[in-house]
Amino acid sequence: MSWRFWQPDLTNEVDDELEFHLEMRVRDLIAQGMAPDQARAEARRRLGDMPVMRRHLLHLGRERNRTMNRTEWMAELRHDLGYGFRTLARNPGFTAVALLTLGIGIGATTAIFSAVNAVILRPLAIPAVDRVMLVSEFYQGQRASVSVGNLVDWREANRAQPMFTNMGSIDWGNFSLGGDQPERVLGARVTADYFAVMAVSPLNGRVFTASEDIPGGDPVVVLGHRLWQRRFGGDRAVLNRVIQLNGQPHTVIGVMPASFDFTNGTEELWMPAAFTPEQRAQHDEHYLTVYGRLRPGVTPEAAQSMLVAVQRLLDQRYRNANGDRLVQVEPMMKQFVGDARGQLLLILGAVVLVLLIACANVANLLLARGAGRARELAIRASIGAGRGRLVRQLLAESTALALSGAAIGIALAWVVIRTLVAAAPASVPRLEQARLDPATLGFAVILALSSTLLFGLAPALRTARTDLQGVLRTGQSKQAGTRKDWLRQGLVATEVAFALILLVGATLLVRTAIHLQRQDPGFETRGLVTARIALSAERYRSPGEVRHAFESVLENLAASPGVRHAALTTQVPMGPGGGSNGLVPEGKTPGPESAIDARMRLVSPGYIDAIGLPLRRGRDLTPEDRAGAPRAMLVNEALARALFPGQDPVGKRVLCCEGAENDPRWKTIVGVVGDARSQGPDREVSPEFFMPIAQAPDAAWDWIGRTMSLVARADRDPLALTPAMREALHRVDPSVPLYRVETMEASLSQALAPGRFRTELLGSLAGIGLVLALVGIYGVVSYLVTRRQAEIGVRMALGASPGAVLRMVVGQGLRPVLAGTVVGALGAFGSARLLATWLRGVSPSDPLTLGGAAVAIVAVATLASLVPARRATRVDALQAIRSE
Amino acid sequence: MPGPETDLLQGTLDALILKTLSWGPRHGYAIARWLEDTSSETIRVEEGSLYPALYRMERRGWIEASWGMSELGRRAKSYALTGSGRARLRAEVAAWRRLSGAVGRILEA
Repeated sequence: MSWRFWQPDLTNEVDDELEFHLEMRVRDLIAQGMAPDQARAEARRRLGDMPVMRRHLLHLGRERNRTMNRTEWMAELRHDLGYGFRTLARNPGFTAVALLTLGIGIGATTAIFSAVNAVILRPLAIPAVDRVMLVSEFYQGQRASVSVGNLVDWREANRAQPMFTNMGSIDWGNFSLGGDQPERVLGARVTADYFAVMAVSPLNGRVFTASEDIPGGDPVVVLGHRLWQRRFGGDRAVLNRVIQLNGQPHTVIGVMPASFDFTNGTEELWMPAAFTPEQRAQHDEHYLTVYGRLRPGVTPEAAQSMLVAVQRLLDQRYRNANGDRLVQVEPMMKQFVGDARGQLLLILGAVVLVLLIACANVANLLLARGAGRARELAIRASIGAGRGRLVRQLLAESTALALSGAAIGIALAWVVIRTLVAAAPASVPRLEQARLDPATLGFAVILALSSTLLFGLAPALRTARTDLQGVLRTGQSKQAGTRKDWLRQGLVATEVAFALILLVGATLLVRTAIHLQRQDPGFETRGLVTARIALSAERYRSPGEVRHAFESVLENLAASPGVRHAALTTQVPMGPGGGSNGLVPEGKTPGPESAIDARMRLVSPGYIDAIGLPLRRGRDLTPEDRAGAPRAMLVNEALARALFPGQDPVGKRVLCCEGAENDPRWKTIVGVVGDARSQGPDREVSPEFFMPIAQAPDAAWDWIGRTMSLVARADRDPLALTPAMREALHRVDPSVPLYRVETMEASLSQALAPGRFRTELLGSLAGIGLVLALVGIYGVVSYLVTRRQAEIGVRMALGASPGAVLRMVVGQGLRPVLAGTVVGALGAFGSARLLATWLRGVSPSDPLTLGGAAVAIVAVATLASLVPARRATRVDALQAIRSE
Repeated sequence: MPGPETDLLQGTLDALILKTLSWGPRHGYAIARWLEDTSSETIRVEEGSLYPALYRMERRGWIEASWGMSELGRRAKSYALTGSGRARLRAEVAAWRRLSGAVGRILEA
């Protein structure tokens, strides 16, 4: 350790050492009887090539010095950090508040970062996923699915002008997996090159070849990892086994790896699309999702403009089928993350505000402490500590604070992540993968260190700038007493501003939640239970067979005890399935311009009674509306207004869903039902119509995939009807599973879950931010009171009333609060716009919310400053002055 | 820099220097003399390679240098063994025993 005090020139060191060596040698040689000149020459000879060695030693010496400087620096850092930790330990009160504040800030931010990382930042387990594009049709300003014909033509064009190495399609559907326990499994029909686009190899076996992806090819299936584990226990012998899918034998040829599962709950098996020549030729039915892998060097824009040019020609050629369709090419990741992206980034923004509040708080604490320690630092400076050394020591102290804070934060983040994953709705993809991984831990440490600079540097520089002479003489930091403490006040103002922004955002979401809770869905949700039934096209070929099977199930169920109402529908409110159709009212020329798009439901008579939709005009559908009878339909009020504004729609006719010019198949509106928010309480009412199953167009069974929902209303607990529903189906076909059994209340709650999650999250962040800001205000006012004890004492001795002192102290404490409130209100006004898409029943710039939040913040700030202010009124004047 | 007739392995020179210093701190020339005196004609330490070895070992933290007064009454740099140098020496000796034992068994077999 003698090195520290010894820093001579390296050249001198080397020369002196060698010179000494030579001299000693010469002395010894002379002592042995050699002549001095000879001895000198001999000594040099023995030492070898002096200039070379000298250069070599200088080089080695420089390296040695560098290593030692580094070691020394580390030793000092350890020393400073150790000192920092000891100082923290000596001030348990300060340390506890600071660490808790910091831990909450870092913990919350880290947890949310881990969620953002899992959902948005971490790439999917697909090689070069940024080259995988979602290729969609673009129709009437919206992304739309792709028809087989268009896909075939796009591929053709891609051969002429290669933009994609591969283009593959996927079409999701439910499959009945046979066995002892028939099960409904979400699967997909994909083209053989779908796997090439994703560039993921199977875990076991293989994926299908182009020769299997043709009509009449071998019936093969590739299993997803989850299904393989769940149904086959992860047995490798499943390869080449034959399983029953939709009643048909299929050979298992491969199993995909677990990572080939982009969201929990996606498809669990893949079968060849095997498009028929008829499918390949048709451009009218748009239902495929198409992915393409861009060739190296090709931009999405280039690929898009190529396909748009091609599509323009196709639109000309298949006028009726395509209309004016364009093509959109965008990264798969973008579509995949979707709405969750904006939501998470917003929450991340909110969390950063909380972190900044926490940092401002700790900075304030450090500032206050810095002022209190002015004397200690002055003494250190006077015994020779340089300014830089003092700053470094203070920084080391806040680093010690930051590292401990990070440790607490990481522990907290661990808890928060688990809570988050458990509480989050299933609609946020991949959130369940959020965890404390190296990226997240790195984030926490970077956060801790950068916040060290943020909140450690300002107080450190300030303390170091203090006039040390003055401090030593008076025992007080001079500037703290005389100069306005703008930094401290500014920090409080910032905290208040951020807290207000959070509070306004949270209040807006809470008001939205209340609004949605009170929102009348338009039907009776209580006592309803629904379930899905899907019949396979292989076993139930003709429309008659399908209809008969469904009607038999309904008959069985209606006769079961405890069932007040039973009905069938293609789609229950907030449920899957359903589709839209264009309706042309009587008197308008049929064409895309006159058609009004509305959601279609095929229902059994009595559906509106079962679901609790009120009949406004006309009559309900009855069993008399059978095949062959005049075609009847019900419309909701929204559709009635759109079709026949200002007129009574009952008895009027519309064109829809089927027919041709010579066979228009008019449908007569027989009744109007009330509007329902059937896509969820947070969605607008959309136009809807209802047609009797008995009069359904034959093609409709293919549109809906022979899948319907069974609806039952109970007098009491609706779930008690589940066995009756299963029994009703079992008696018709024991091989068909009943799935998605849900009460309407549960679906409703699920539909509101994302909003609830958002509200709870932002609400808790606002709460934390508010508490932290209050701690900050409390701290500053306390400090103020301590600083001005003598002055207050004098004032009171001179006759100032406790009330006046209270007003003075609170008034001074509130000054930065008011400034922060004004700034925060402006900020909230601007940032609430970001929430606009999630707000219902309240405007982002709602004055009541903004005003209420501002008043609330000022009120609690007043309370927070009252506590220390009251202490000021109890100051004993004499004692205060004496202690000075 | 090593002379032609001496083919002393770097590690062996280090071990010898460490051994020298294990009896107490000394300056470079004293180390050279000690090596000359104790080793026979078989092993000759080239003086030219002594100082680079000392600098390298100092950087590794095996030895520590300090300036003091020599017997001549002038400033001289002397080297002392550190804790890690002592550990290194033990390891070198053990390794050497293993190696020489093994080679000996082969040659005498």
